[in-house]
Amino acid sequence: MGFGQFLAAPEQKVTIVTYRDIFQSAVMEEGRFSEEYLKLSAVIKMDAADIKKLGVKEGDTVVVKNNDNNGKVVVRVENSGYDASHSEIAYMPNSPWSNALVSADTGGSGVPQYKKIEATVSSAKGESVTTIGF
Amino acid sequence: MVILLNENYHVCTGCALLCDDIEVVIDDNVITEVKTACRKGVSRIKGCNEPMSPTVEGQQVDIDVAIGAAADILKNADSPLIFGLGNSTDGAQKKAIELAKQIGAVLDDTSSFCQGPTLEVIFNETVKSCTLDDVRNKADVIVYWGADPSNSHPRHLSKFSYFPRGQERQRGWEEDRTMITIDIRKSHTAKISGDKFHNIPLQADEEFIDALIDALSGKVPKVPFEYDPKRILELANILKNAKFGIIFVGLGLVYSLDNMDPIVKLMDKLNELSNFHLIPMVGHYNMRGFNQNMFNETGHLNRVKFEKGNNTKVQHGAEFSIVESLNEKKVDAALIIGSDPLSSLPRAVADHLLNIPVITIDPCETFTSRKAKVTIPSALSGVECGGSAIRMDGEEVKFEPIVDVKSQTIRPSDEEILTRIMEAL
Repeated sequence: MGFGQFLAAPEQKVTIVTYRDIFQSAVMEEGRFSEEYLKLSAVIKMDAADIKKLGVKEGDTVVVKNNDNNGKVVVRVENSGYDASHSEIAYMPNSPWSNALVSADTGGSGVPQYKKIEATVSSAKGESVTTIGF
Repeated sequence: MVILLNENYHVCTGCALLCDDIEVVIDDNVITEVKTACRKGVSRIKGCNEPMSPTVEGQQVDIDVAIGAAADILKNADSPLIFGLGNSTDGAQKKAIELAKQIGAVLDDTSSFCQGPTLEVIFNETVKSCTLDDVRNKADVIVYWGADPSNSHPRHLSKFSYFPRGQERQRGWEEDRTMITIDIRKSHTAKISGDKFHNIPLQADEEFIDALIDALSGKVPKVPFEYDPKRILELANILKNAKFGIIFVGLGLVYSLDNMDPIVKLMDKLNELSNFHLIPMVGHYNMRGFNQNMFNETGHLNRVKFEKGNNTKVQHGAEFSIVESLNEKKVDAALIIGSDPLSSLPRAVADHLLNIPVITIDPCETFTSRKAKVTIPSALSGVECGGSAIRMDGEEVKFEPIVDVKSQTIRPSDEEILTRIMEAL
């Protein structure tokens, strides 16, 4: 048992923007309960520098929590690959995993903030990706 | 205009482009190959791996039993919700409106939290729109704003906007068309725009619009973030000189604005100087049809509540959106048609669906169907049943089923199921 486990894992605040991915959309048409759909959906794409700050590497799992603490998912982290730096902005494909983090509060507008999810990301320390269940 | 199809071609219901040039190979009434369609279209037409069965309380039953159970739930509900229909034909949508009137339901669809505001300004003729055929034949300046069709509508650029030769655009993208992408990230579509990609900060669309209007008005554009004003002036110049301009509005733009006023202001300015049109990047194949059918029937696109026994009384507002109806726990039963709100809504909103009896009508199993009290399998539109739908630009597209519908294995259409539920009521 090492001392390291008592240290809080570094956290990165992010605003998550959801997007569509054609490969994920095609797999969703085939079935929403497949391994492939989970693999292509339970992903967060971050700026390379932000990933480094978390002390994780690409492909590792991370815990993503929304700031109201209403939602929490474990997903795989990927480097966004964008040339322009986008620290504190992360991207997730639109799916039940991203929707677990979207706030219910719409200010009465009826339109959730799908493209402006305030969240924090930290290492999941090897925990597996969340399986969606209701 | 009604688009008539060559009988060898089929329509893809994978998205609201409704591509009408699909060819298939059928073996023993099963589609084994799909040609021409995009990746998503092929998956849609081939059908899912998890078809839904008729069930009541998780037990497999005869479909008539499931329809009877659905009618019982709706009969006993004080405030039922009907939601979905973006993947249903016009005929099914009209039937659902009738049903909503009969039972005094809240009726809403996904446009309630996506392209509803864009369609509203088009339906009210506040902004000018056009058809995708006009775009193909005439458009010289094409703007994708907060949209990434390379992922959402993969054939948009090749079939209608940037790459085709059109009547007045015989030199295509090489010489006759300019494509601009405005987005917060360098999407696959943005890459195609090359140096005409404008990478703006998150939630900065309104400020960028204001700066663009200034530039179009001959003023020096200013934005509260680092951005070369020369690039905004160059953009304004391209837009000003357009002979036939089109802005395709994506969800990135819609979600970034509180309302449509900035877009309306920009369109007004553009049309003082040139000739610009607006088309929303609608996702589900017949979401626009639902909005059109609702608009024709009630004067509203979505978010309505009918009064039981009073066919003419209809209330409309954000409080009748699916999100607020569930947030406020104002509905006590739900009929979900061709949609998966447990997947597409925020989890914290959708959770109320776990506390009320839910009926799902869908060809495939969904997160919602697995928690539903009653499931009724339906035909896959465009494959197992025909009908009509409204493309993202407002054009009506008629389609026939691809497979032989006399086969015993074919499931009833949404329209037929809704008719039978109404009869059972």
